[in-house]
Amino acid sequence: MPWLFLAPALLFLAVFRFWPTGWGVYLSFFHVRPYLGNQWIGFANYTKAFGDPALLSAVWHTVFDALASVLGSAFLGFCLALLLEGPARHLRLLRTAVFLPVVVAMVAAAELWNELLFPGQTGAVNTLLGDIGIGPQQFLSSPHQALASVIGVQIWKAAPYDMIIFVAGLAGVDRELYEAAAIDGAGALQRLKYVTLPALRPVTTIVLTLGVIRGLRVFTEIYVLTDGGPGGSTQTVVPYDYMQATTNNDVGYAAAVSTMLLVVTVLLTLALRWWRARVED
Amino acid sequence: MAFPRRSRIRIAVLAAIGIAATALTGCGGDSGGSGANGATGPLSVWVRGSGDSMTAYQAIFNAFTAQTGIKVNVYSTLTDFETKLSAAASAHKLPDVAIDDAAQLGNFETQGIIQQIDPGTISGSDQLETTSWNEARDSAGDDYAVPFSVQANLLFIRKDWLAKLHLPVPTTWAQVVQDAVAFTQDDPDGDGKADTYGMDVPGSTSRGYISWWWSTLLWQAGGDYVKSDGSGKYTATLDSPAAVSAASEFEQLACTDKVMQPGYLNDDTTAANKAFETGVVGMYLTGPYAYATFDATAIKGKYVVVAPPLGPTAATLAEGTDMYLMAGAKTDEAEKLLSFMISAKAQNLGMTAVPTATVVRLPVNKTVSATAAHDNDPRWTLAQQVYQTEGHFEYDSMPNWTALRQQASNSINTMMANCSNPSTAMAGLNSSFQSLLQQQGVAG
Repeated sequence: MPWLFLAPALLFLAVFRFWPTGWGVYLSFFHVRPYLGNQWIGFANYTKAFGDPALLSAVWHTVFDALASVLGSAFLGFCLALLLEGPARHLRLLRTAVFLPVVVAMVAAAELWNELLFPGQTGAVNTLLGDIGIGPQQFLSSPHQALASVIGVQIWKAAPYDMIIFVAGLAGVDRELYEAAAIDGAGALQRLKYVTLPALRPVTTIVLTLGVIRGLRVFTEIYVLTDGGPGGSTQTVVPYDYMQATTNNDVGYAAAVSTMLLVVTVLLTLALRWWRARVED
Repeated sequence: MAFPRRSRIRIAVLAAIGIAATALTGCGGDSGGSGANGATGPLSVWVRGSGDSMTAYQAIFNAFTAQTGIKVNVYSTLTDFETKLSAAASAHKLPDVAIDDAAQLGNFETQGIIQQIDPGTISGSDQLETTSWNEARDSAGDDYAVPFSVQANLLFIRKDWLAKLHLPVPTTWAQVVQDAVAFTQDDPDGDGKADTYGMDVPGSTSRGYISWWWSTLLWQAGGDYVKSDGSGKYTATLDSPAAVSAASEFEQLACTDKVMQPGYLNDDTTAANKAFETGVVGMYLTGPYAYATFDATAIKGKYVVVAPPLGPTAATLAEGTDMYLMAGAKTDEAEKLLSFMISAKAQNLGMTAVPTATVVRLPVNKTVSATAAHDNDPRWTLAQQVYQTEGHFEYDSMPNWTALRQQASNSINTMMANCSNPSTAMAGLNSSFQSLLQQQGVAG
C-alpha cells in the first residue's frame, strides 16, 4: 500500500535519475556513434582517461576548488553566524538580507560577477580597489587569479547558507555552559574555543564533508564565468566532461569520466558514513 | 489506515493505467511524413539561427512553398544545435535538410548523418561559383553539402579615432599595430580616461574563437595548420617558422603592446561585438554581416572597412553556411528545396528580406551580385573582392575539425594568458594536433 503512494516519485526518479545513470555507465564501454550504431571498445575510454593530462589537471582544480570554497564559506558562514545570531528583529532582518545570494540563480549571479570583475581600470571592483590605492587586478583574465576569483564567487554564494546552519547550531548550545565558563574566568575568545567550537563539531563536520562531496560536481560557476579558461586554469571535471561530449563529440569518453566521478562520489559518501558510525560509537 | 478492498483495487488499476500511459507516450509514435525516400509531405528543415535571421529564412521558405506547393516545417536554435541534431540522430528522427556552418561538414559525415551530393541532381548548380564548393567538400574530394552563403573577414576601424589622432588608414600590418598602440595610449575618444584599446579579439576557447581569429595571422604569415599529401592524409605544421612567427606577432599584441580589450581571453564574439559597438576598442576583424548590426548602433557612420593588410601571403579567414541533405531524407522534395535556395531569387531574398539579418552574406550564385542587392553599397563590393582574392577556408573536411580547432584554441589561449615562449607553445600544440589527426585517421 505505501508503495502505491511512492510509485509516482519512484517512477520520476527511475526515468530521470536511475535510468540515465545506468545508461551512462553502459555507454562508457562504447565508441558512441548516434546514427551509425555504437561500437564496443571495452575499457578503452577508461584507459584514455587515466592518460589524459587535461583531465588530471581538471581533477586537481576540482579538488582544490571544492576544498577552498567549502572551507572559505564555512569559515565566513561561522563568522557571520557569530555576528548575527540572536532573536532580535534587526538581526533577523540582517540575516535575511545576507541570505539573498543563496536564492539568486547561479547563472544570473555569475553573469553579474563577470561584469563586476571586469579587468580594466573601469571595472566595478577595480574602481573600489583603486580608491584604496590598489592597482587594477586581472581577476578572471589572469591564469593566476582566475581560480581564486571563481572560488570567491562561490564563497559569496554559499557562506550565507552555512551561516543559517551555524546559527541553528549556536542556538542549540546550552547557555549555562557559557555562564559556567564566564564564572570560571574565561574570556570571550576562550569561551568560543572551549564551549562553542566543540558544541558545533557535528554540524561543522557535516557541512564540510557534504560540501566537499557536492563541490566535486561544480559546473555552472565555471561554465558561465570562465568556461575553463584562461589557459585551462579553471577547468574542472564536469565542464571538461561537457566539452568532451559536445565539442569533441566523444560521448563514450564523457560517459567514462562521468562514471568515474560517480564512483568517487559514492566511495567518499560511504567512507563518510563509515567514519561517522565509528565516531559515534 | 486500511483502505476498503474495492477502493484499493480501484487505486491499483488507476496507477497501472497511469504507468502504462507514461510508458506508451515515452515510446512516441512515428508521426507521418518522415523516412521513406520520395514520399510526399512537408519537408522538415533545421536551421542554426534565431531572431531576425529566422524571419529572413522564413521569407525564403514561404517563397519556396509559393513556387512549388511543398510546405516547410522549420525548427531553429542557436545554442547546442549540433548536440540536438545528435539526439535526433540517435532517435533516427533527423530532419530532411539542416542549415549550419560549413565547419561542421566533417563532423556530420563522420557521424554518418548526411548524404553525399551529386551536383547534377541539383538543378541550377552550374550557376554556383566554383570556389564555393570548397566549403562543401570532404577530404576525399566528394561533395557532402550544397553551399548557401560565403564570406571573408574584413578589418573594421573607427575612422573618427583615426581622424582625432591624425593617422591614415593602415595598409600594412606594421601600421595596424602602430594604430592599435595609438588607440590604446593616446585617448582617441577624448574623454581623458585610459579606457580605449586597439584590437578587439574574441580570445575565448569556447567554439574555438581564439584559433578562429588567429588563423588569418597564421595564413598571412605563410603558415598553416596542416599540410596535405594530396590523397586525403595530413601532417601538422604548427611548428613551422611561419606559424611560430604568427604566434609571436599575436603574443606581442597582448604581452608587449597590450592593445587588446581587458578580459579578451574570456570573450566570445558577442562580447567582442559589444566592445566594438560601445567604443571600447577601435579595430575589429569580423565578417560583412556586421555592417547591418553595427549600423543599428551608435557607431553607424563612424567606422571604415578595409581589406585586412596582407602578410607575405594573401589570406583572410573565409567561412560559410552549408545546406546538408540528411540521411533518410525525402530526397526529391529536399533536392527541390536545395535548388531553390541557390537560385537567384532565394539568394537575393537572403540578402534583402531582413536588413539587419543578411543570412546570405555573399551569394554563392555567380549571377547574383551582393553590391546590387545592397543598393550599390561599396562595402559589399569590398567584401566580395576580399573573399575572392584572399578567402581561405578552415579545414571543414576533417573528420572532426571542431576538435582540432578546440585543441589549437586551448593551446593558444594558454600561451597568450601566460605570455610564454611561442616556439615551445607551438611545438607542444603541433604534437597534440598530430595525435588528434592520428585519432581521426587522417594522419600522413
